[in-house]
This record gives sequence, structure tokens and C-alpha cells, in this order.
Amino acid sequence: MSIVQVSNLRKSFGDLDVLKNITFEIEKNQVVAVIGPSGSGKSTMLRSLIHLEQIDGGSVSVGGQDLVKEGVYANHQELKRITSKMGMVFQHFNLFPHLTVKENLELAPKYVKGEQGDQIAQRSTELLKKVGLSDKANVYPSKLSGGQKQRVAIARALMMNPEIMLFDEPTSALDPELTGEVLQVIKQLAAEQITMIIVTHEMGFAKEVADKILFMDQGEITESGTPEEIFMNPKSERTKAFINYVLK
Amino acid sequence: MMSMDYLFTITIPMLEGAKMTILLFLIAVIASIPLGFVITLMVKSAIKPVAWLANFYIYIMRGTPLLLQLLLFCFGLPMLPLIGEYLVLDRFVAACLAFILNYAAYFAEIFRGGLLAIDKGQYEAAQVLGFSRWQTMRKIIIPQMFRVALPAVSNESITLVKDTALLYAVAVPELLHFAQTAVNRDFTIIPFFVAGIIYLLMTLILTWVFKQLERRLKFE
Repeated sequence: MSIVQVSNLRKSFGDLDVLKNITFEIEKNQVVAVIGPSGSGKSTMLRSLIHLEQIDGGSVSVGGQDLVKEGVYANHQELKRITSKMGMVFQHFNLFPHLTVKENLELAPKYVKGEQGDQIAQRSTELLKKVGLSDKANVYPSKLSGGQKQRVAIARALMMNPEIMLFDEPTSALDPELTGEVLQVIKQLAAEQITMIIVTHEMGFAKEVADKILFMDQGEITESGTPEEIFMNPKSERTKAFINYVLK
Repeated sequence: MMSMDYLFTITIPMLEGAKMTILLFLIAVIASIPLGFVITLMVKSAIKPVAWLANFYIYIMRGTPLLLQLLLFCFGLPMLPLIGEYLVLDRFVAACLAFILNYAAYFAEIFRGGLLAIDKGQYEAAQVLGFSRWQTMRKIIIPQMFRVALPAVSNESITLVKDTALLYAVAVPELLHFAQTAVNRDFTIIPFFVAGIIYLLMTLILTWVFKQLERRLKFE
């Protein structure tokens, strides 16, 4: 069974329909890249999955449980339980600036899950090692580069052991020379078979790491398929034009 | 020729008066900062009448002179029909109330400014990590808000030290009261200078304390 199911998702801001009848499914352990021009609704779609955006119609289910069913949201507690299956990484990192790297990682497990201190400390040490920032544990975010901040943000999300990771343009706010280190960490996660949905403008990366690609344009998924299908043999004219443009 | 003995005799009662000044300052700061924060939360409340009430409160307290409020609390309240007789407060207590209620309005605005400075991404990050609203406020928003607001809080506290001199108008014997008494009695302006130096010392200490706090909360 699919771990994420979205059907007929609709959302509008006033008169503007930002998402129109979005329907797709994601299998467990799949890595899905969402690509498309700016303003096509990619980020809004991703944010709807974790309840950062309120949708106006359609259904979203995660891990077999309904977050929204035909426009009706689950109750508050259910929402919290369902969204807790997902971790999210933002374009602008959103680290807590008043806490050290280690504290950023440990705050949620401590207060949201009420886990034991030594258990948390062990996991944060492991995860900082994994993202290559063991030496930055006691540093405040203001002392980190963009790439380092984003790696901390990934580790912070992983601390909650999510089943699914959502990435909202994780490298768009970074200097070009810093995107590599972040993409490397995401690739490593892909190799560990964590289910991931990545909104990205990095076409090379999407091609290399994704099992499935969703191409969005003007609030719709106009095409989906394997990287080969989308990049080598796009069906719609719109996709073709976009791919030609970005790969040029 | 000014003798050390004379300086000594006028400074002692002034320091006594300074005790009253410091006491009022401490009471006002300790009570008005939390109260101000509660008012900030009320202004931010989703329940409209609560927000209106808080905004109205701020408007009244900021829109009228502190001296007027002080006189009202000390001399005006007992004149109220029916309930007035129960509102005859000790003048120092009445003055404390006036200062707390007035300064809470200013602190509320300072904290509101601090909240505005916090990026929406902080709330989103907190939400996706599963924090409750209350945990988000307590662990993530308030510490950052306080840091942002600190220079303005420091500024407001220094103003408060100097505003304590308004006690003079309701005849509570504080620092300025003793200075004025000495000036009248001895026909010299020296006591005013001594009073000025004592105020400067108090604000100097306060400035230093806030600088230390700012350094400690630099997050670097």
C-alpha cells in the first residue's frame, strides 16, 4: 500500500487556484522529486502534506491514515499524530537561533516525546556525525555556513525518527558551492531507503537520486514518471520546454 | 566653602530617600514586565474583544501623563462615589500601582515589537517538530522575543528610574524630596548636584546590568 496518497487536492488563495486536482501516490522507500517552474505550486503542495497549508478540498492520507478526507480534516490529536510521521526541511533552515546545534537537535525529542536524556544525547551525537558536523555540537547557528545550517536542520528532523522526509527546496537559499554538501547528505539518506519527497530546482540531482518525478505546472501535476521518462522522453510540450530550458 | 561635613549631612537623608526610589523601581519593574507580557499576549489573542480591551488599555495608559495617573491613584480614587472609601491606599502603594499599570503598557508594546521580529519559519519549524502552542511560546518564541526586546527594555527601565522622581508630586519622601528640602533650607544648589550624581550612579549600574545580560544572550 502507498505510504502517501493524495487525491483531488485543491487549494486557492482568493481567486487564484494554486493547486487544482492534485492526485498522486508514493510508495514506501521511494524518493520522489517534485520539479517545475517557479509559482507552479510545488512548495504549497508539499506544505499541505504536513498541514502547514490548509487545503480546500480533496484527500491526503499518510501511512494509511486520513489527514484530510474529502476536504474534512481529522481532529487535532489525529492531525498531530499523522504529521509526526513526517519530518520537514525548509528552504531557509529555520534553526532555533537561541539554541546550540546540539540543543536544536535535542529540544523536540525531549519536550515533544519526553525521551530520556542519555538516549537523546546518543542519537544526536550519531546524527551529527552522519551529517559531518560532530565538531559543531556546541556552536550557535549564527556561526555556521548555510550548508552547515541545512545539514543541522536535516539532522534535527531525523531526531524524531520520521517515516517520511519532506524537503522544500533545500538548496535554493545556498551559495552554489555549498549545495553539494547538502545534496550529499540527502543522497546518503536515499541510499538508506528513507521515503522522501523533495521539491527541487537541482535537475541533475533529481535525475540521479529520484525513483519518481512529478512535474508541476500552474497548480497541476502535468506529468509524472521515472527520471528517464521525464528527462529523456517527456510527453507534454510544457514538460519538454521546461526540461530543454533547464538542461540547456 | 563647602565642607565635607556638610556634604555628608545632606547626602545621608538623600540616600535614605534613594531607598524609596530603588524600592519603587524594583516593585514596578518586577511586576510590570510580566504584566506587560500578558497584555502582549492579549493583544495577539484570536478572541477579538480580548485584543480590543488590551489595545484600549495601552491607548489609555500611553495616552495620558503618568503624573495624572499617579495623582488619580493617590488622591482621585478615594473621591469616587460609593467605592471611594475603600480605595484609600497608602500613598506609596497607590504610586506603585500607578507605575506598574503605566509601565506594563509600555512593556507590552516593546514585547509586541519583539514578537514581530520573529520569523514565521520559527513557528513552522516548531509545528512540524510537534511542539504544542504553549511549548512553542515557552521554549522557542519567548526566549528570542526577550533577546530582541532587551535593548528597549533596558531603555525603558532607565526611564523608570528617573520617573520615580514623580513621587515628589504626591509627597512620598524619596531622593528628590530630600534634595529639594535641603536646597530650601540651606539656600544652596549643591543638593541638586548630589541628587543628580545619585541618579547617575543608579542608571550606571542598571546600564551595566543590562549590558551583561545582552552579552550573555548573544547566542554566538
